[in-house]
Amino acid sequence: MPRENWQKGKMKKKTLLVLVVALVASTMIFASGDKEKKSGSVSSYKIGFIGPLTGDNANYGVMSRDAAIIAIDEVNAAGGINGTPVEFIAEDSEGTVEKGLSAIEKLAESDKIISLVGPVFTGPTFAVGDRCQNQGIPLITGSATHADITNIGDMIFRTVVSDGLQGEVAGHYFYEVLGYRNLAVLYAKNDYSQGLYKSMSTAFESLGGKIVDAETCMIGDKDFKTQLTKIKQLKPDAIYIPDYTVEMAQILEQAANLEVGAPFLSCDGFSNPVIFDLAGEYTDGVVYIAPAQVLKSEAYDKFVAKYQAAYGISPDSFATNVYDATKIEIEALKRCVAKGTVTRAAMRDEIAATKNYVGVGGLINFAENGDLIAYQGVYKVKGITPEYLGAFKVVDGKIQQVK
Amino acid sequence: MGSISEFFQHLMNGLTLGGIYALIALGYTMVYGILKFINFAHGDILMFGAYIGLFVFNFLRGDSPLGTWTFISFFIAMLISMIVTGALGVAIERIAYKPLRKASRLAPLLSAIGVSFILSNGAAWMWGTQSRKLEYPFDNAPFTVGGVVITPHQVMILIVSLIMMLALIIFVNNTRMGKAMRAVSLDQDTSRLMGINVNSVISLTFAIGSALAASGGMLIALDFKVYPSMGMMIGLKAFVAAVVGGIGNIGGAMLGGILLGLLETFGVAILGIPPAMKDTISFGILILVLLVKPEGLLGKAVREKV
Repeated sequence: MPRENWQKGKMKKKTLLVLVVALVASTMIFASGDKEKKSGSVSSYKIGFIGPLTGDNANYGVMSRDAAIIAIDEVNAAGGINGTPVEFIAEDSEGTVEKGLSAIEKLAESDKIISLVGPVFTGPTFAVGDRCQNQGIPLITGSATHADITNIGDMIFRTVVSDGLQGEVAGHYFYEVLGYRNLAVLYAKNDYSQGLYKSMSTAFESLGGKIVDAETCMIGDKDFKTQLTKIKQLKPDAIYIPDYTVEMAQILEQAANLEVGAPFLSCDGFSNPVIFDLAGEYTDGVVYIAPAQVLKSEAYDKFVAKYQAAYGISPDSFATNVYDATKIEIEALKRCVAKGTVTRAAMRDEIAATKNYVGVGGLINFAENGDLIAYQGVYKVKGITPEYLGAFKVVDGKIQQVK
Repeated sequence: MGSISEFFQHLMNGLTLGGIYALIALGYTMVYGILKFINFAHGDILMFGAYIGLFVFNFLRGDSPLGTWTFISFFIAMLISMIVTGALGVAIERIAYKPLRKASRLAPLLSAIGVSFILSNGAAWMWGTQSRKLEYPFDNAPFTVGGVVITPHQVMILIVSLIMMLALIIFVNNTRMGKAMRAVSLDQDTSRLMGINVNSVISLTFAIGSALAASGGMLIALDFKVYPSMGMMIGLKAFVAAVVGGIGNIGGAMLGGILLGLLETFGVAILGIPPAMKDTISFGILILVLLVKPEGLLGKAVREKV
């Protein structure tokens, strides 16, 4: 390299260094300015949302986001909190961990949200939850059901029942009430599906039942004939499919085409009405465990009416849970504003302090670890309409109907 | 693996899967035979065909119940979809590939990847990302033959793909245009000197390949639903099938497709490969073939290239 160029290079390095120093200094100035702003008045309070808004599973995310928007609109229509509006910022995760992480990055650093609703799916919630815990952002998910979600830390709450409970009730219900002894499982290789399979089979086997075959698939698979052909040969009493709608629709149809014969059992993913569009009459007879139906409350009816008026369809359990999660955050925010300390830490404490909140999904109280204190509902599809069989919980190793 | 009937059940599942791979692989192999270029937008052309078929079928069928009209309208929809998609294929070739014919070999390949994204994103934008159901045009109640459960849909896949493949072979071997295609695949410049209109032969190749993809797309859609990314994985698999059979070789594409369908099914069923790894079977075979016999299974045995 000629000497001149070398010197030029050195010069460039120097200018670069100056630039970097200037940049660092400027961010420090901006950062400190930001801190000052926090104690002063703000133009709006920001609540973030993360969920799959595009892609195959967008139906879950869009319904959830739309429900949250209703809650936000309600508070803003009433003049916000002491005149300050609540801003809602929804980010798309496409149901993936990578997109979820870049979404929380944006929400935390550039939007500076005070709290988060979502993510919708378990996998992204693990990743985003970790980030929220480290940065001290309180999070309420309305649908991430994996048993270990709330073990991330004290920033994590949920308005949906943990899989630990869903799986436990499922295992007991299948064994004790339905009388099944040999089950086959076809679950997807992701946290949600695997978590449900584990907690269900643990309960089922502890009672003396047998899992004759546990087949796996991937989210996005379309062809399940190989797995179903194998399961068919083993003649199980029933087949448990803790998956998502698109996959379950494929499984039900292909099972009918292969004349598998055994009845199907499922999970809260089945409560999404899209399954009945995709799988039609093949859903007949499916029994699934999902959040218990709300005793027809005024709040529930009002929410359903509002949701139908706004979007033309009925909300699913994801939507009701997210609506409650958003409302709880708004209520906590109100209390923060009243007390004069609007910080993420104060938000967290106010969310934890929620007592006997009457949500559209029922009475909400958080356990010490942030889990929802609840029981489970059992549903059976007749034709293409789910029928509610009642609410159940497990007490001292025995299933009990909640009256 | 349990009983003998289970074996035949897997065989049936594998054959129908392979039939579809073969049908789509033909499009790759024909274009490669003529232009020595992989049309990576082929899977998305298939998706486009499935959407067109879905719309036309729903429009023609209206509210009519299962019956003769529904059955006929499905095939009318397939025909219209094949024509429209064939035209789309020709248009894509004219706009995105033809200007690059003299450029380096990488350029049309990149252009094809671009077209692939435009098609799948365009479909997502126009029609949304949710899966749509293409209804069976007949009662798809399965029947049992010797312990093997077969659906009318599977029978249709086998019959339609067989008819399409036979028609293609007859066309290529026994018509003037087919002869022209074979000539162009051997040597473009000499063909031009012989008075063959090379451009129209290339257009025809794209039209036929895309039309076959459209019919394949509709056959898959009955089982797998219609959605913007539906062509991605199946397109890659068909590409693998074309390479495994010997790219540029029509018989090879059929063999490769059927082989791939069977290997995927039996790999999981007999060898116990986890279903999550199913897609790796195809690509593992691709690597193996490229290492051991890069020209593909039928690559050298048959000289006839189209």
